[in-house]
Amino acid sequence: MLQRTEGIVLKTSPFGEADLIVTYLTSDHGIIRTFAKSPRKIKSRFGSSLEPLTCARISFWGREDSALPRLTQSDIIHSFHSIRSTLNCFLRVSEVIELTLNFLPEREASKKVYALLMNTMKVMESECNTGLLLVFYKLRLLEAVGFLPRFSGCGRCGKKGDCFYVSHGTVLCGSCSKGHQPSIRLSPGVVNLYASLLGWSIAKLDRIKPPEAFVSELSAVIDEHVKYITERSLKTKSFRAS
Amino acid sequence: MHGIIENLISELTRLPGIGRKTAQRLAFFILSMPDAEALSIAKAIEKVKEKARFCSQCYNITENEICEICSDESRDRSRICVVEEPSNILVIERVKGLHCLYHVLLGALSPIDGITPEKLKIKELVQRVRRDGIQEIIMATNPNTKGEITAQYIRELLSPMAVKVTRIAYGLPMGSDIEFADEVTLGKALEGRREL
Ligand SMILES: [Zn+2]
Ligand SMILES: [Zn+2]
Repeated sequence: MLQRTEGIVLKTSPFGEADLIVTYLTSDHGIIRTFAKSPRKIKSRFGSSLEPLTCARISFWGREDSALPRLTQSDIIHSFHSIRSTLNCFLRVSEVIELTLNFLPEREASKKVYALLMNTMKVMESECNTGLLLVFYKLRLLEAVGFLPRFSGCGRCGKKGDCFYVSHGTVLCGSCSKGHQPSIRLSPGVVNLYASLLGWSIAKLDRIKPPEAFVSELSAVIDEHVKYITERSLKTKSFRAS
Repeated sequence: MHGIIENLISELTRLPGIGRKTAQRLAFFILSMPDAEALSIAKAIEKVKEKARFCSQCYNITENEICEICSDESRDRSRICVVEEPSNILVIERVKGLHCLYHVLLGALSPIDGITPEKLKIKELVQRVRRDGIQEIIMATNPNTKGEITAQYIRELLSPMAVKVTRIAYGLPMGSDIEFADEVTLGKALEGRREL
């Protein structure tokens, strides 16, 4: 049957001679992969609407559970062209997208994640050079999919603690952490920043300027946490390092 | 269906654009061909897989150390046209007028797929520019996101060197109607307008 929804192109992979597998984050069905016939031909009716980050109204054919429904229509709502046409900006957004693909299972609808990605890209459009936004996205995504690291109080007994145990995804107090792997000590500034990022709305982000050191420290802890869960580093990381 | 025919059919479906039905038609056609003709197809495949390799200078496909284009002395050797795949050279060569050298990257950058600069022949391009006194690099990577960021990456990499980096123009495909163009394509075409 024909289904209509709104979606953001997360990635595309060439298939055969001129076809494409397009992976969307949709507002109604979560992540879905669709098959698009011949978009790589010069005169394709899809035009540039299947380029990564494009938000479009789409229609696709396929049974409810079809693994690869066929994309029949795609009309651009917002191209987000400026993000993907600047190398540094595209690298940042690629990290956001890879993380989303790693944590949100296919076909699991999440209005929260959809709105989060949409709002994040809108901010990126006007200001891309912000590490804070990246950390905000990561924390909020992890919260939405149930993998939020716990920084405030021991994850076992609730007592105070400032050592984050990657293997447990939480801070543990002195008595609960006996015999466990080494941990990462969190500075109070980082714990505060973490709490603020979970409380603030994205619109408030540009009003506060936390020290760069806090942002990168928080970012590093989150990356370790993500690496532990997914059992590998993000592919986009290897690009940024190179 | 018979084992060996079935096998040929399923081998043929590996080719791009060949579905099961077409593969069946091809398989039965091959079966009906004179032996010599059918075998010469098989031999041609064998030969190309045995002999073909990348040109040590530009990464075009060749059977020699250096490809025909790189060894053609009549070409403009101060300009290099950069493409993603060897097959792109064939298409560009059909256009008369650009009688220059090429450099094949063997792909395009894609952070999300882990395609980093080291996985492409970018370092080798920079070496050529440095060594051979190249004056212009024409970036002819695909006009899509991957091709675009690849072009940008290379431009940034070459910026300290005295080489002009140009990018092929974006625009509407000839023979099409403006009405059917999307906003990004049309925007790019307007941006790249020029005086008549
Ligand atoms: Zn405890
Ligand atoms: Zn060559």
